[in-house]
Amino acid sequence: MNLTALSTAYRSVSQFHENDRLIAWLSGQPWVIWLTPERRKSVLFYGAIIAGTVGVFSRKAKWRDYRALTPWLEHGLAFLILLGVLFALYRATVRFKQWPAAVRRRPQICFHLIFWLLLALLWFFAASEGFFIGVLSVILLSFPYLLWRAGYMLLSGQRGKAQNSRFRDHLFYIWPIWDGTNTPPGKGYDYLSRTMAQTPDSYARTVLGGLKLLLLVALWKIVLELIAALIYGDPKSPFSALFHGYTFGLPRVKQILGRQMAIPLLQIWLSLYLELIWETLSLAAKGHVWVGVIRLFGFNIFRNTYKPLLAQTVVEFWNRYYYYFKELMMECFFLPTYARYFRDLPVLRVVAAIFAAAFVGNMYYHLLQHKEQLVVGDWNGLWSLLGARSIYCALLTAGIAISMLRQQRQRSRPPAAHDGPARQLCILRRIAFVWTFFAVINFWNVIAPVSIAERAQLFFSLFGL
Amino acid sequence: MTDKERSRQELVDFLRTIQRPDYSHAVIDEESGLVESGLIDSLALLQIVTYLEQAYGVDFSERGIDPEDLRSVNSILDLIAREAAS
Repeated sequence: MNLTALSTAYRSVSQFHENDRLIAWLSGQPWVIWLTPERRKSVLFYGAIIAGTVGVFSRKAKWRDYRALTPWLEHGLAFLILLGVLFALYRATVRFKQWPAAVRRRPQICFHLIFWLLLALLWFFAASEGFFIGVLSVILLSFPYLLWRAGYMLLSGQRGKAQNSRFRDHLFYIWPIWDGTNTPPGKGYDYLSRTMAQTPDSYARTVLGGLKLLLLVALWKIVLELIAALIYGDPKSPFSALFHGYTFGLPRVKQILGRQMAIPLLQIWLSLYLELIWETLSLAAKGHVWVGVIRLFGFNIFRNTYKPLLAQTVVEFWNRYYYYFKELMMECFFLPTYARYFRDLPVLRVVAAIFAAAFVGNMYYHLLQHKEQLVVGDWNGLWSLLGARSIYCALLTAGIAISMLRQQRQRSRPPAAHDGPARQLCILRRIAFVWTFFAVINFWNVIAPVSIAERAQLFFSLFGL
Repeated sequence: MTDKERSRQELVDFLRTIQRPDYSHAVIDEESGLVESGLIDSLALLQIVTYLEQAYGVDFSERGIDPEDLRSVNSILDLIAREAAS
């Protein structure tokens, strides 16, 4: 068997989701025909109600450290109030044009202001323990999860695309606890409606695409366990016995920051690069689960992570690394800033929009992520979790701005004439730069119990300073 | 030539000036996604916004930027038509 035949065989296996015979067979299966778009929406709607109920009640244990939320009634009432809040928001969305101009222009800000007002109320009455304070706590602890999802619903209203939508069309992407982050995979109503498979043939293609991602999850998990055993020497890895205890024993960045061992500079740099690979694979595995499951319901949505380690620019990496987070930052921070400010100053316009997304939006998103500290007003705890991240976000903003402006300038130029090995080398150099940039700034993103000054000292020591 | 045909021609001419250097197709498919088809990268959407502001006076500060409106040649033409009608 020659190389071409091998390559063809590999392609037919790896691209099984595009195999026409397989698609034709699957699209003829009774369950694929029965699961029309409307029936799939019904399954999702009722699934959302069940998952949301379980989610609200099952999180009690996690929050008990912060407030005495023992009576089940608090959760029951909070659940009903949250559902009511979402229904009110839905009504506000379908009647968007009836709202005052100030709300129509900035619906997201108004929505977030309500959250902050309720939070201020909770801080004000923090001393008084009582039933209603408990209910308010549960509502506010659930809110960050719903803020961005319901935000997409409001965006649909602002764009005039939700007038004829039903509550059940929105509930399934807002309410369920499909994943643990506040980032909505699959965005909201507009994007999901556009990508929903309408025929058995397109549904079969989408299901196969979803299955491929779920298989990739298994593959990346195996790779991660191999790295854990061979590189990091993690005894919990199922592969550690396979290597008879042999390991490179490289430390994780968190251990380097905690100065749990003295490490040569070369090993620190290796750890930084490996941390980037590790985090990329972990994120890809998690994202493929969300997107794979969503595709099984017939939404042919983009992957959350798509080959970021092959990105040749900083912007491209950001776009491919965590697509739905980037989209959230784009739609809620970048585009509104770009539309409203510095229209006559093109460079400043782009830089301001990038700052809004990569710094302000990024920090704000992560502030809301730490909801337990937020609800009890633990500012010291929040600073210890987010202080170093502000430097990460500043460096990310600078990197994206330079990369974006550079790319804009280069776009009109013809492609480089050189081909062959010289071109390959050029591509490799670009990829290496992107890896280095993100590996280095990630140093500020890893959560570890060290002060910013200590982290800065370690950071500069990377460059021999 | 109708207004819509003129808008279409001007838009296609503009897209040619911002297309990716390695885009090889001679014809731009008016239905398919501009970014998905590889004609432009996502950054070029910003240049389309600026183009629509300058050429057609579209005020995005009021309506916000909907990436769906900028998805394909036809969706941009629909946006221009909506703007002209409003």
